[in-house]
Amino acid sequence: MTGWIKWAAPAAVVIAGSPSAYAVQYLTIAQARQQAFPGATFSEIQAGRIWRAESGGRVAGFFIFDRVIGKHLYIDYTVALDAGGRVQRVDILEYRESYGGEIRSPSWLAQFVGKTSTSALQVGSDIRNISGATLSSQHVTEGVKRIMAIAPRLK
Amino acid sequence: MLPASNSVRRARPLLGTFVEITVADRSAEDTNPAIEAAFAAVAHVHTLMSFHEATSDVSRLNASASIAPVTVHPWTFHVLAHALDLHTCSRGVFDIAVAPVLQALRLLPTVEDDRFVPDEAAATSAAIELLSGCRVRFRHSGLRIDLGGIAKGFGVDRAIAALRAYGVTQALVNAGGDLAAIGPQPETVHVRDPRDPSCLLLGLTITNQALASSGKRRDPVRSTAPLDAAVIDPLTRSPVTTSMAATVCAPTCMVADALTKVVMIAGTAATPALEHYRASALMVLADGSVEMTDDLVGAVCLAA
Repeated sequence: MTGWIKWAAPAAVVIAGSPSAYAVQYLTIAQARQQAFPGATFSEIQAGRIWRAESGGRVAGFFIFDRVIGKHLYIDYTVALDAGGRVQRVDILEYRESYGGEIRSPSWLAQFVGKTSTSALQVGSDIRNISGATLSSQHVTEGVKRIMAIAPRLK
Repeated sequence: MLPASNSVRRARPLLGTFVEITVADRSAEDTNPAIEAAFAAVAHVHTLMSFHEATSDVSRLNASASIAPVTVHPWTFHVLAHALDLHTCSRGVFDIAVAPVLQALRLLPTVEDDRFVPDEAAATSAAIELLSGCRVRFRHSGLRIDLGGIAKGFGVDRAIAALRAYGVTQALVNAGGDLAAIGPQPETVHVRDPRDPSCLLLGLTITNQALASSGKRRDPVRSTAPLDAAVIDPLTRSPVTTSMAATVCAPTCMVADALTKVVMIAGTAATPALEHYRASALMVLADGSVEMTDDLVGAVCLAA
């Protein structure tokens, strides 16, 4: 590198677009259940929420589905508890986030593209990875604590 | 970009954020053991380097390294060695000794029975002594360290190493915005706009590189206004105000993670440190203007 390039980012060049959303589905409930308790059979304790996992005629643990609010929208997650009520694993099933529906003008962004660039401009490509102010996982952590509180009552 | 058809993507809450692992690799026999090993590596980093857990290496160091040398895990020793290099290379701007300031701001918890004396708060990383056999001594009784500015990046690097050990050749690990990609396929990463986190500033394309971002904190439940950054300027011992956010691209995520703090605090004065670590950077200043190093320009693409 030889130096820094300064760019003014006037709000006037921001053009309106349709609201965009970022959502990732990592696992279905059934997939997460199977990965947490491979080969186990499941019986539903609370419809769509809590299952007992049995393996070889013994209780292997419990599997709980829950959702908490993330930034604005729900985060779906599951908690696998062993037979003693200890947390074995927490998996995020689905993560959703909405965006304000503003797309920065291609003409403004085009100024960033250097003469040496070999990468083509991509418009409307999928958002797959986001870097920026850290999203807290605090709500999921609090959710897991609430689930731990009911764990002793699971049979 | 990763082909969606044959990629496996998982996410778990670790390191105080969401850690997401994507493996797009047909040659891997079974991606699940690789992903499990990668999450286990991140969880191990969390256990060793959390300020919040009383049994972590960090807590043990803070409790007694000023009394007698404390033996730490080789990973912790490795991170401390790099933190000291970064401290020197950035002329003191990167400093893991700002924990007391973060505690005073309630961004880190205070520890019961801590012999912390307020007038000794100005201890810096220079008081950390690395000894043989992964032993560490603090030469200042007021020294308290926090690896929050570097450990997340190191966790990403360990996850990548775990995936490589399983023969994975194309993957991406993203710990709340601190990420690293391996493999021949370029990855597009969108950078959140710190002026309005519901918008994306731009996209950056990375190949076999790491990228990390730091910025002002927000709590959408309480307020739409940004909070102070959790990045402390060691010179003023208060949150940085000169910039809103920084993104750094570097060979390892540990270095990228740490250098975001250097860029946020030092601005263009971070250039020697960036050059030393072969890193490039982008920053959004307090007035909303954007600056980037000229070597990053070619990686920029449109924001969605």
